[in-house]
Amino acid sequence: MTFFAPFTIPFIVGAGIMFFVLAWKYISWLRGLPKDDLKLILRGIPTTATLRSVWEVIRESLLHVRIFRVNPVLGYMHTSLAFGWFLLIAVGWIEVVAYLGSEFVPLQGHVFFKYFAAGKIANHIAFFDFAMDLLLAIVLSGVLLAWFKRLRSKAMGMRRTTKHTTGDRIALSFLWFVFPLRLAAESITAAIYGGGGFLTGSIGKALHNTLGTAVLENLYEPSWWLYSCALGGFFIALPFSRYMHIFTEIPLIFLRNYKLRPTHKESTYDNFEVQACSRCGICIDPCQLQSELGINNVQSVYFLRDRRYNMLSLSVANDCLMCGRCEAKCPVGINLNTLRLNSRDAMRNIPDERRYGYLRGLDRSEGSGRVGYFAGCMTLLTPKTLNAMERIFESAGEEVWWADRNGGVCCGRPLKLSGETDSAHKMMAYNTELFRKHGITTLVTSCPICLRVFREDYDLDGIEVLHHSEYIARLINEGRLRLSGGKGTFTYHDPCELGRGCGIYDAPREVIEAVGTLMEAEHNRRDSLCCGSSLANTVINDSQQLKIAASLTAELDATGAETIVTSCPLCKRAIARCAADRVRDLSEIVADAITK
Amino acid sequence: MATINFGYSINRPRLIDIDRNNLRKSDEILLEMPELQTCIGCGTCTASCTAGNLTDFNFRKVHTLVRRGEYAGAYEEMNKCMLCGKCRLLCPRGINTRGVVMLIKRKLGDF
Repeated sequence: MTFFAPFTIPFIVGAGIMFFVLAWKYISWLRGLPKDDLKLILRGIPTTATLRSVWEVIRESLLHVRIFRVNPVLGYMHTSLAFGWFLLIAVGWIEVVAYLGSEFVPLQGHVFFKYFAAGKIANHIAFFDFAMDLLLAIVLSGVLLAWFKRLRSKAMGMRRTTKHTTGDRIALSFLWFVFPLRLAAESITAAIYGGGGFLTGSIGKALHNTLGTAVLENLYEPSWWLYSCALGGFFIALPFSRYMHIFTEIPLIFLRNYKLRPTHKESTYDNFEVQACSRCGICIDPCQLQSELGINNVQSVYFLRDRRYNMLSLSVANDCLMCGRCEAKCPVGINLNTLRLNSRDAMRNIPDERRYGYLRGLDRSEGSGRVGYFAGCMTLLTPKTLNAMERIFESAGEEVWWADRNGGVCCGRPLKLSGETDSAHKMMAYNTELFRKHGITTLVTSCPICLRVFREDYDLDGIEVLHHSEYIARLINEGRLRLSGGKGTFTYHDPCELGRGCGIYDAPREVIEAVGTLMEAEHNRRDSLCCGSSLANTVINDSQQLKIAASLTAELDATGAETIVTSCPLCKRAIARCAADRVRDLSEIVADAITK
Repeated sequence: MATINFGYSINRPRLIDIDRNNLRKSDEILLEMPELQTCIGCGTCTASCTAGNLTDFNFRKVHTLVRRGEYAGAYEEMNKCMLCGKCRLLCPRGINTRGVVMLIKRKLGDF
């Protein structure tokens, strides 16, 4: 059997270009990694991380378990296309071996086996005819669903889908044509030479009866040409379009399991994450900038696209609440917020080295104790929280060192969120030194923004960092705080930085239940809404912030609770614009419930 | 006669001539952040300022000077800001003050 025909050239050229570009990209990204990351990879390879990665590749790159969780039909659409195509290749390979044994067959021989084997095989193996047709039918059902999704995405659990670029649309068209053209080519082959299963065989018979041999002979070669061209076109488009995710998710899973992560500075590792984005658009629906404000060009999918093609603008990079709702839903698990942060860092102003020289020698703290309390700028703007914390400390008999009651230095996170990472580190160094100087062992803060930066960026070994919700819960459990329970009904708003940011959901709820009855809002915990006042966004204006806060307040009010509770001073101020004094900080309701 | 030091001094007379100042940067800033036209100069931003509490940084003053085309030293002065965002929460006109700080720095970084 010979394995060459002119029509295979588009396929061979396409596949060659694709593999060359892929190899070139991956090798240059790996070479660009810092030495420490390379060490992590080398150390990780002989460990169980490799096995875990293989399992994750099967789960996520072939079966797409996480997309099934978003919506079963959406999951089936993607799995039928991806896993179906994979099985077509794998079973096709086995079929060739079953017919030809150990004979060497080049790549195009496998792909176009039906063409090369036409009329040369005496005994068809019925199993393969059936299996290959079944798989093709499954893939075609996926293509049909993909077409249907273009018309009605809502039926598949997506309110909105991605608006694709022209390049992506071209690649998409090639992909959509691959399988119908394969069906046509194989059916025509079956019509002339026999064979084929329930799908290609039956269509082949029908074609044979209606068109006649002469017409079919004329259609035979062109049909294979078209199929080969669709494949070749798709392969050439793949490394430059959204379909780069097909291959890139695999190295990403391995690198992630070897503990590589994007950092606050851009690195070539980021390319693995950026190009693993399939632009599925699952991140669009959770975005409140979309649902409340109708902003349609800043969501993570568009941010990653703009960054990948070097057309990222400052207004897109900065227009994000960084609430993390999209990150929680991303089926690829891309660190969307970190990538946006390091893009902002790369686009920042040139920092002034003399900046913040005025911090030197500053110390306005007061009191002494092993427990330090850092109010943070926002708590200083909500004095009720500060007073409540004072009463709680007093009632629990805690000696407290007040870090910034008389005005202190910002924690540095707002600056970091604005991309001025280097300058933010000057503040971090100042605050760390201040904490060390006063010898505290526990640091309590009532601001989740400060909490997150203390936990993620500060080097505070030996100092336990607690959010006031955790600290109060601990006081209650240790019996140091006596509260009169059963007072009123409360609903709780999870602040983004505390919930999705630091994973603290239970402590505040525990505290609320010690005081009264908790009534959950529709979106809660990992799915909670953002208040809209996030420091991460420097683009939206006041009325837009208010609109987001109003929708959040409406949802919290819908629970029918008497009081809205939150544990972030910024969220409190945002909700207070729509709910006046019905919103209170966690510490306030605790302080009111203290029994003397 | 030797000058007697009474412990205070008189401000040097100072004139801002808007006709002579180059307002191009100022106009660009206004174009990108039109809400700045609603500023009433109340100074709440400065009163609440974290950096202003520790230094003589005065956001209202810097903003006013920049708007009148007095750019000298504005970038260095703006760099004292910690971007903590208290001013934005308190501004009675709801001006995106953090955005203003970043915008002024971006526009005047090369001055």
